[in-house]
Amino acid sequence: MAATKPVGARAPLATTSWGRTGRVSARSTNVIRVCFVLGAAIIWESLSRSGLLFRDVVPSLVAIVASMGKLLVNPAFYANLQVTAWEVAASLAIGGVAGIVVGIVLGSNKFLARAYEPYVYYLAPTPRIIFFPVMIMWFGVGIASKIALGALSCFFTIALSTAAGMRGIDKVLIRVGRTFRATPWQMATKIYLPAMSAPVLNGVRLGFGTAVITALLAETKLSNQGLGFMVMQIYARFDMPTLYGLLAIVFLIAGLGNLLLGKIAGGART
Amino acid sequence: MSNVANASTVTTVAAPKPQLVIDKVFKRFGDGPGAVVAVDQVSFDVRPGEFVAVIGPSGCGKSTLFNIIGGLLDDYSGDVLCEGDRVAGPHPAIGMVFQEESTFPWRNVLDNVAFPLELRGVGKAERLERAHHFIDLVGLGGFEKRMPSELSGGMRQRVSIARTLVSQPHILLMDEPFAALDEQTRLLLGDKITQIQQDLKQTTLLITHNLTEAVQLSDRIVVMTYRPGRVKRTVSIDLPRPRTSDVVSSAAFGKYVAEIWADLREEASRGMADAEGRTRGAAPRG
Repeated sequence: MAATKPVGARAPLATTSWGRTGRVSARSTNVIRVCFVLGAAIIWESLSRSGLLFRDVVPSLVAIVASMGKLLVNPAFYANLQVTAWEVAASLAIGGVAGIVVGIVLGSNKFLARAYEPYVYYLAPTPRIIFFPVMIMWFGVGIASKIALGALSCFFTIALSTAAGMRGIDKVLIRVGRTFRATPWQMATKIYLPAMSAPVLNGVRLGFGTAVITALLAETKLSNQGLGFMVMQIYARFDMPTLYGLLAIVFLIAGLGNLLLGKIAGGART
Repeated sequence: MSNVANASTVTTVAAPKPQLVIDKVFKRFGDGPGAVVAVDQVSFDVRPGEFVAVIGPSGCGKSTLFNIIGGLLDDYSGDVLCEGDRVAGPHPAIGMVFQEESTFPWRNVLDNVAFPLELRGVGKAERLERAHHFIDLVGLGGFEKRMPSELSGGMRQRVSIARTLVSQPHILLMDEPFAALDEQTRLLLGDKITQIQQDLKQTTLLITHNLTEAVQLSDRIVVMTYRPGRVKRTVSIDLPRPRTSDVVSSAAFGKYVAEIWADLREEASRGMADAEGRTRGAAPRG
């Protein structure tokens, strides 16, 4: 008797609360997100105005937004953005093509996979920035060394996800292609490629992330152009509002790039 | 019309030449003491327009036989003759439907069904028109633009069947196409298959372990033994056509099921005993 009563009392409550979250969840997550941003802005601004910290370390949002505006009309910003974008694009192209080719080879050949995949696997999580001095010696302090390092870093991610995608192809689909007597070219373009496109694009998306991180990191270490270089230049001047403004812009660009690749990958999946 | 199928080929004047001949087909996997004979001297044939089912317990080499006839396993001895050609590699006259989920998840129903025509370079307009026809035939009209993920298992299997039929195979070869479906869906899809087979006069060879399905659909049933897979008996099913799933409640249907089950039970129990023995780790070989 004592055991049934609370259960009976709880059940209708549980259903109504489930129903409510189900109905308004999309709107409420947006509300929570906006509240989070607003809350962070309010805390930041009050910290900045409280005088508890150095004004330069936590500059007012007004100053940051103003400096963002100035950056967006500054030709030097666009010149540096172009350099970094080019580095990331070239890294992704080189590392991507190499990664997809190696991934297909590892994914289709059991013997080679057993022999070489451990190397790819264990090298993948090592921090590539330690190879930066080597790359500088090989390719100089300019763009080439950043591209080489970026390509190296996204290669592993893309190779591993391509190999996994290749192995993940449903074998029965390959048999279907064989029974309809598809030519090798038709097998590649109409079965292997579409079946693999989702994991490969997902790998490219992760590779994009590593390429951006590596390019910017390398630019902050040793360079004479690029957004990473610009960050260090601004830091050297101790121009905090501009520094925060630039960081915010870099975040936005990287986020948008990721979103775009995610959309493409999502489109391929369905 | 006798139980001994081959006899009728000789006596009936109008009996057409068999379209598919399986002649002393033998397949062994592995060598030495660990070798397993999957298919042992299997012989039977399928005449034009006929629906033949091969039935046997799990482990009787049905799937091996399916792969051999479909040309996916060309290292076998004996002969599989499709319209006189020895099958080695997928034969253009044979269309296969697999047991597994085999629709392309990135193509909608229409493009899935049009796939074989696309491979042959058939023009887009004609391709889509023919695909539409076979989609209607399997009862999926109106679902052309749906993705496989939006369909039920039974609907997806019908997409696979339409995809094979659109290539207009002379012989339709199916490996337990309804194995993953529930009993009601299976009976209803059986009706669909019967109707399609009658409309197209489609020569069909069905591999199955389901007794009711075999009796419901077939003109003839080839019963196989448990390992090594041999032909135990061939039974002609003289149930009236056109047939529907209502036939399962008739007395004649029950008689056939009982008769074939008597044969099948022995084989299935051997298979079960063997499997249990292997699980205990004390299975006598052979």
